[in-house]
Amino acid sequence: MPESSSRRRWLLRSLQASIAATLAAVFYPVVRFLRPREATSSGAQEVVAPYRPSELKPDAGRGPRPFNFGGKPCLLVLSPDGEKRLAEGQKLLDGDVKAFNAICTHLDCTVEYRPEKADIFCNCHNGVYDLNGTNISGPPPRPLEAYKVTLRGTAKPGETAKPGQEEIIVSRTT
Amino acid sequence: MSPAPPNDRPDATGRWGRLKAFFFERLGLEDLRALAAKKRVPIHQTTIFYFLGGMALFLFAIQVITGALLSLYYKPSPDQAFESVRAIMTEVDYGWLIRSIHSWSANLLIGVIFLHLLTTYIMRAYRAPREITWITGVLLLVVFLAFGFSGYLLPWNELSFFATKVGTAIVGAVPLVGEQLLLLARSGKEVTGDTLARFYSLHVVILPVATFAILGVHLFLVQKHGMSIPDRVAERRGGADKVPSMPFVPDFLVRDMVGWYLALGILAVLAALYPWELALKADPMASTPEGTKPEWYFLFMFQTLRATPAEVWGIENDVLVVLFFAFVGLVVLLVPFLDGGAPRGRTRQVFNVLVVAAVIFFIVMTAWGLLE
Repeated sequence: MPESSSRRRWLLRSLQASIAATLAAVFYPVVRFLRPREATSSGAQEVVAPYRPSELKPDAGRGPRPFNFGGKPCLLVLSPDGEKRLAEGQKLLDGDVKAFNAICTHLDCTVEYRPEKADIFCNCHNGVYDLNGTNISGPPPRPLEAYKVTLRGTAKPGETAKPGQEEIIVSRTT
Repeated sequence: MSPAPPNDRPDATGRWGRLKAFFFERLGLEDLRALAAKKRVPIHQTTIFYFLGGMALFLFAIQVITGALLSLYYKPSPDQAFESVRAIMTEVDYGWLIRSIHSWSANLLIGVIFLHLLTTYIMRAYRAPREITWITGVLLLVVFLAFGFSGYLLPWNELSFFATKVGTAIVGAVPLVGEQLLLLARSGKEVTGDTLARFYSLHVVILPVATFAILGVHLFLVQKHGMSIPDRVAERRGGADKVPSMPFVPDFLVRDMVGWYLALGILAVLAALYPWELALKADPMASTPEGTKPEWYFLFMFQTLRATPAEVWGIENDVLVVLFFAFVGLVVLLVPFLDGGAPRGRTRQVFNVLVVAAVIFFIVMTAWGLLE
């Protein structure tokens, strides 16, 4: 009978819809559960680096270890100009110290400063950046993210600040 | 059910015999015995290939046992993971042995699975009706690579931390869904304690469950379809049914066990002479140390990433490499459907050349990665 068969079809559809709705109700929270929660790492906008410019000189051995800036490793580098000024005992300029997000733009390894080669190097896939953070060879697709650097003399009133002993203040440019 | 023939039942005399008969009847063991009797293994010059599956199974059993033991002391948190593995290595009685066997066996297992895949390909054992056996086998390889990758992070040392960063960043390079996959894998934008928890769960719960499910189908199909006989062997003998064979139980199983015993010896020697290293604790702020490399079975991908320029045809290095290996993986998965042709047909020749090229690529890239 057509009436009964359409009723049967309607029942079947309802059953299918109910099963689908139940599955959705079960799996939707599961999928949402798998999504990570928001990061709780510090969003610090500014930090005083744990180094002074004189500690960044190439003869200070291997470059200084990166330090934590807002949950990410931050790498400090002394530019060749800064190095020259420091050697001649002149006052450093803000641009003489550079700060970068030390995460390689290729696949997230952490780069290191190689004073003897005057470059920044990634040990994972041999990516090379110059001291301005520009990618110059190997797989990295983009330059390192640069932070703004401000040098603050630490001399007391009346004294002259000694070059190389300034505080290095790293801040996000945005 | 009709009663089994009398000679199929154990002798029910004596206390031991009655106990045996009790279980035989209640568990339906005569069905199992009939199943075992049905399975035969062909004898020809590449019979040795048939041992690889059983060897993988044995090493997996070792992984389950040693893994369960390690989980008694391991603590999956960034503050405690490294310290707990160090305690396993230095304080827990025979902890060094259990962990070293777990690590060595993992590496041998992956190697055996690779060989199992290759020899199955060489014997063309993937053809109808064994396509799904092949597919479940490839899936098991993927699962075991995931086992290796997730297990590598658990000691939370420098190498494993950066290997995980790179490995998950590669996932992030997948077009369109990469970012979501990376969040899913890392449980956030960075590799943190949440990542460790996720990898631990993957390693000890999710992947084992997946393995038992897929392995169940795989083994059922091997049993159902029997051992595949290579064309050339069947031709030489004048038909597959004329190829000599031995019963699986006990003839082949005893030979299997000789192999397992040998493997156990090799594992003991490796663990005793080369206990697995732990090195330094991970420091998310430290520069990636020199010589950071993944395990040998990922080296070929790692070296490809290193050797590919930053950009090819306007596509970034990581995206290109991901797409390339994803394509290769898909081809491997679909081999039974791509090579449906005649035994000496053109597809087959093209495939042979490709496989030889792939094996050479794998060996050269791995060696290059090891030496650099």
